[in-house]
Amino acid sequence: MASLSEEVLLVVKKVRQRKQDGTLYLMAERIAWGPEGKDRFSVSHLYADIRCQKISPDGKAKIQLQLVLHTGDSTTFHFSNDSTALKDREAAKELLQQLLPKFKKKANKELEEKNRMLQEDPVLFQLYKDLVVSQVISADEFWANRLGDTNHADPSLSNNKQEVGISGAFLADIRPQTDGCNGLRYNLTADIIESIFRTYPTVKQKYCENVPHNLTEKEFWTRFFQSHYFHRDRINTGTQDIFSECAKQDEKGLKSMVVQGVKNPLVDLLSLEDKTLDEGYGVCTTASTSNPNRTVKDSSNSAIIKRFNHHSAMVLAAGSIELAQSSETSSTDGNSRDSDFFQPPVKKVRLQETMEYEDLQGENRPKTVALNLKKSDRYAHGPVPLQSQHYTTSQEIINSVNNIRDEMLNYKPNLSQVLSNTTASSAIAALSSGGVLMKAATQQAINQMVPSEVQGELKHLYAAAGELLRHFWTCFPVNTPFLEEKVLKMKSNLERFQMTKLCPFQEKIQRQYLSTNLTGHLEEMLQAAYSKFHVWQTRRMLRKT
Amino acid sequence: MKLNIEGLLVYFPYDYIYPEQYSYMLELKRTLDARGHGVLEMPSGTGKTISLLSLIVAYQKASPLEVTKLIYCSRTVPEIEKVVEELRKLMEYYSKQTGESNNFMALALSSRKNLCIHPEVSALRFGKEVDGKCHTLTASYIRAQRHSDPDVPVCRFYEDFDAVGRQVPLPAGIYNLDDLKDFGRRKGWCPYYLARYSLLHANIVVYSYHYLLDPKIADLVSKELAKKSVVVFDEAHNIDNVCIDSMSVNITRRTLDRCQGNVDTLHNAIQKIKETDAEKLKMEYRRLVEGLKEANVARETDVYLANPVLPDEILKEAVPGTIRTAEHFVGFLKRFLEYLKSRLRVHHVVQESTPQFLKDIFDKVCIDRKPLRFCSERLQSLLRTLEIADIADFSAVTLISNFATLVSTYSQGFTIIIEPFEDRTPTIANPVLHFSCMDPSIAIKPVFQRFQSVIITSGTLSPLDIYPRILDFRPVTMASFTMTLARTCLCPLIVGRGNDQVALSSKFETREDFAVIRNYGNLLLEMSAIVPDGIVAFFTSYVYMENIVASWYEQGILENIQRNKLIFIETPDAAETSMALEKYQEACENGRGAILLSVARGKVSEGIDFVHHFGRAVIMFGVPYVYTQSRILKARLEYLRDQFQIRENDFLTFDAMRHAAQCVGRVIRGKTDYGIMIFADKRYARADKRGKLPRWIQEHINDGSLNLTVDETVQLSKHFLRQMAQPFRQEDQLGLSLLTLEQLESEEMLKKISQIAHQT
Repeated sequence: MASLSEEVLLVVKKVRQRKQDGTLYLMAERIAWGPEGKDRFSVSHLYADIRCQKISPDGKAKIQLQLVLHTGDSTTFHFSNDSTALKDREAAKELLQQLLPKFKKKANKELEEKNRMLQEDPVLFQLYKDLVVSQVISADEFWANRLGDTNHADPSLSNNKQEVGISGAFLADIRPQTDGCNGLRYNLTADIIESIFRTYPTVKQKYCENVPHNLTEKEFWTRFFQSHYFHRDRINTGTQDIFSECAKQDEKGLKSMVVQGVKNPLVDLLSLEDKTLDEGYGVCTTASTSNPNRTVKDSSNSAIIKRFNHHSAMVLAAGSIELAQSSETSSTDGNSRDSDFFQPPVKKVRLQETMEYEDLQGENRPKTVALNLKKSDRYAHGPVPLQSQHYTTSQEIINSVNNIRDEMLNYKPNLSQVLSNTTASSAIAALSSGGVLMKAATQQAINQMVPSEVQGELKHLYAAAGELLRHFWTCFPVNTPFLEEKVLKMKSNLERFQMTKLCPFQEKIQRQYLSTNLTGHLEEMLQAAYSKFHVWQTRRMLRKT
Repeated sequence: MKLNIEGLLVYFPYDYIYPEQYSYMLELKRTLDARGHGVLEMPSGTGKTISLLSLIVAYQKASPLEVTKLIYCSRTVPEIEKVVEELRKLMEYYSKQTGESNNFMALALSSRKNLCIHPEVSALRFGKEVDGKCHTLTASYIRAQRHSDPDVPVCRFYEDFDAVGRQVPLPAGIYNLDDLKDFGRRKGWCPYYLARYSLLHANIVVYSYHYLLDPKIADLVSKELAKKSVVVFDEAHNIDNVCIDSMSVNITRRTLDRCQGNVDTLHNAIQKIKETDAEKLKMEYRRLVEGLKEANVARETDVYLANPVLPDEILKEAVPGTIRTAEHFVGFLKRFLEYLKSRLRVHHVVQESTPQFLKDIFDKVCIDRKPLRFCSERLQSLLRTLEIADIADFSAVTLISNFATLVSTYSQGFTIIIEPFEDRTPTIANPVLHFSCMDPSIAIKPVFQRFQSVIITSGTLSPLDIYPRILDFRPVTMASFTMTLARTCLCPLIVGRGNDQVALSSKFETREDFAVIRNYGNLLLEMSAIVPDGIVAFFTSYVYMENIVASWYEQGILENIQRNKLIFIETPDAAETSMALEKYQEACENGRGAILLSVARGKVSEGIDFVHHFGRAVIMFGVPYVYTQSRILKARLEYLRDQFQIRENDFLTFDAMRHAAQCVGRVIRGKTDYGIMIFADKRYARADKRGKLPRWIQEHINDGSLNLTVDETVQLSKHFLRQMAQPFRQEDQLGLSLLTLEQLESEEMLKKISQIAHQT
């Protein structure tokens, strides 16, 4: 029991699993169960592997805890200590609740990443299906190479994917449906939740605070939709609403945005007026805005207006956060030196912009040259390399004509070596159109000859073979024991690939009477790999002996 | 290029020129030649400002004795700065062409808030605070106190300016607000006072309307400006309201309470000063006996701009004996205050003319007309004598005394309305006394009288003839210019019906009608799907917008719009709206597209331009009539009818249409720009409404676009947008709406140009 050295956080006795009594151990990184009287664990799960835990409803006779793994398997523990069963279960549950999220994040991140890659790249997905699902290579092997690639090779490329903004109407997309019995159903997708979180960070905060300790996810969203916060036109009813705080924080955020002011002086309405009339002067046409008793309807209306402004601002901000962060660093660098000297202030630039008449001033803008194409088809098709051997000088032509003429002069038919009648006629038949030898000359493209489904399969085979071969060839030169091991494994992988994938395909196309040399190239590639392997192996043997 | 405008050499800092610019300069020159006033309407984005500046600067150079100064008035701070930048461009062109450095001096003037460089004062956020704080540091007696007590804080920038700043005039050059601040920082001088001082010898002054129209400020800043100046009011379509605002006063119960406090403070201060420094009060008394002779002399020699608050008669007399001593004056103020308080204790609406009011005040508290007229003057004197530091605290009593002077000076053109409560909340007592000016000509009269040429110009001044009537002046030129276009880049459409044939209108009877609101929503929704980038929508009033937005929200229309574009909405709070505006522009900039819901007559409709992709379509929901139930408006309409023979409906329609034109005009800011203008109200189709739109919009409304349904509008818009999306090159414009010098000089073109100006 090597793992005894691990830190054991909780031990629960009298826990049954598969009708066997035993003890449940919760350790720093895994949960384990061993049958009574035995010295080893028959069940052991890393926390990272556990997707979630489920408990039996209160009041059930059996007090159980179920662990669902990412693989879909589940393990059920039955707490059988009569007196303290419930307490035991609660203790285990509480502890798991604290532990799981820690590991979940790590595991999820990786999983998500893999998932994302598979979803984004259909080829990779196919490859994954071909190689991993059909168990040519293991998932770890598959990913070992992939993830590494993206992680260090060029992070810019993978990160460069543009951040997707948020639809302005994402809240409108959550259409409630009546479920027939006096209730409403809201359909929330991960995207919408993501949008809500990004637009309203306060809701996310609430979510993190409350789920799953106080509320289940479902309860949380139910409350969200019932809240005054969601329906901003409703009047704030009570303070027990967990979202009332969100509204307050939003208000604060809005206020701080307002206080910050605007960067563009041309839209700053506050500084627009040069000289406002003193209080008391002027025709007062508008009713005073500070009127304390605006009707309830009025204030709810203005709340809607505020909400729209806030919502739009937040949506906009959520979309541009990434951009702003990256550009901010660079811009502060530029400004920190001395903005007054190096850059004209924003105001001046804006003023210049507004007073520019681009059509009045002719010359001083940068001249652009219009593209003037004489032969547009050449532009469209790009340059074609000249094939020099097609060009012959006139002297050469004359020479060759002379040569031919000379030869013809000396031509004497060698009648003893001509073909027999029958062979000659069959040769003619074969060479005339429709004949056996003329088939290639009809230039039927492969895509017309082969049904598309076979083509697709072939493509997948190529992709898979390419992937495996890549793995194989990257092992050379073999200079570490690890690589040695890998090259052996890859060889067997290749063989397995040929057996399980390539051969059935070959048989299949034979059955469909298609020309078998479709897979010729694939085989050649495999053969090249094998021969390389053999060369390497014999050399190794020689060295060993 | 160098132009020849009827014998005047004009440097124009561009290589090309729009035909209408040439035409505009022609009219302008004729106005200046005639030493008269002019009303000129030219579409925005056709280079009005640079044409104005080019011509007037050329005129100044050619005949420096005839036109000594250009006073350019604009409305907003960014516009002021823009004008100065255009001027800078012109001057650079001048020196490049002539090869000699310029001896022109031009500057922008703005309030202390925009010019102050004092580290503490300039950090304050509101203009009023800055003014107040500045006063506490720079008032003459504060500085006098410093001589005896060096611990009294003063503004070192002002001190330095006062010590040496006046000796050498500001070197020639173009000074924008920021340049003034830079210069001030370098020299250690106060830019605000420097600018105010330099106003007198500047060739060109750019500032806001208020410095010329508001008597309270004009008296301080602009009264010594030379008579031979040309005054330009740009964006002048609202000038009558500015005039009226500057002469109107509202008094609430709160004002009176604060005023009571002020009077008490004054009383105590007088008591204190009597014990310590009675001599001071005696000196003041003597000065008042002497009368306002000095001011009178100045007025007679015509050095000063007349102050309508301080009419000529006052100057000829001394302050009447009844309010000459400080205590008597405070007693007088108290009585007046009590009278006002009693007047505010009404239960029904009272409306009376100024003579009625004066008679009543004489009957009740025995206050004569004469001392009332000197009230404002007398208070200023007292505040000076008592060395009151923070003038801002005394705004209430200043307001009351200004009111007293105004009410006793003008028997015509004003009305007094006392409302015990607001119309919408009849149960809550909130009495207000409106002393409201109905005649904009009162405030602007001194300007017309004093300066030889006053140019009123804007993108939307139609119908032109109404401005001379309401401002009471006789222009020598009135012209409206169209926009010559190589492609019709504006597409005015009048939507009269929904798809269900419901008539669309914002008129009072159908205002709450769900069918109308729904159809308006559909219009916006459909447009949001086809118009790229930004759409701006204007409503007739804030309340109306709130209601519509709420019912669109309930009907789910807004949600559907959100699928296409983000929604931003103007709020009564300026800071919040600024933020919404900036976000709106950001959303247009990054390609997401956005809709701005806004209000006609609001800040956005008056001061913000939506160039290019910031506004590809503008929708005017309804006709933006002013709230007609207001008593002030009714009184004004009556006055207009009686005095100027302008029918009520004509004026209301004119007012509504100029605001509608302002709103829709926001999207077209130049010939390369393009935009759809949707008038969503069937009333726009009527000739009396349509005829009041500016000519450059009107001429693109054809009979086919008069009473469209929403669907038809969408079809026409799609077609228009597709056309506009084609590349538009300079060559396409050249010779039609853009001219080189040679083209301009051809006979044929000159003939064409003469048709651009539409004389009335």
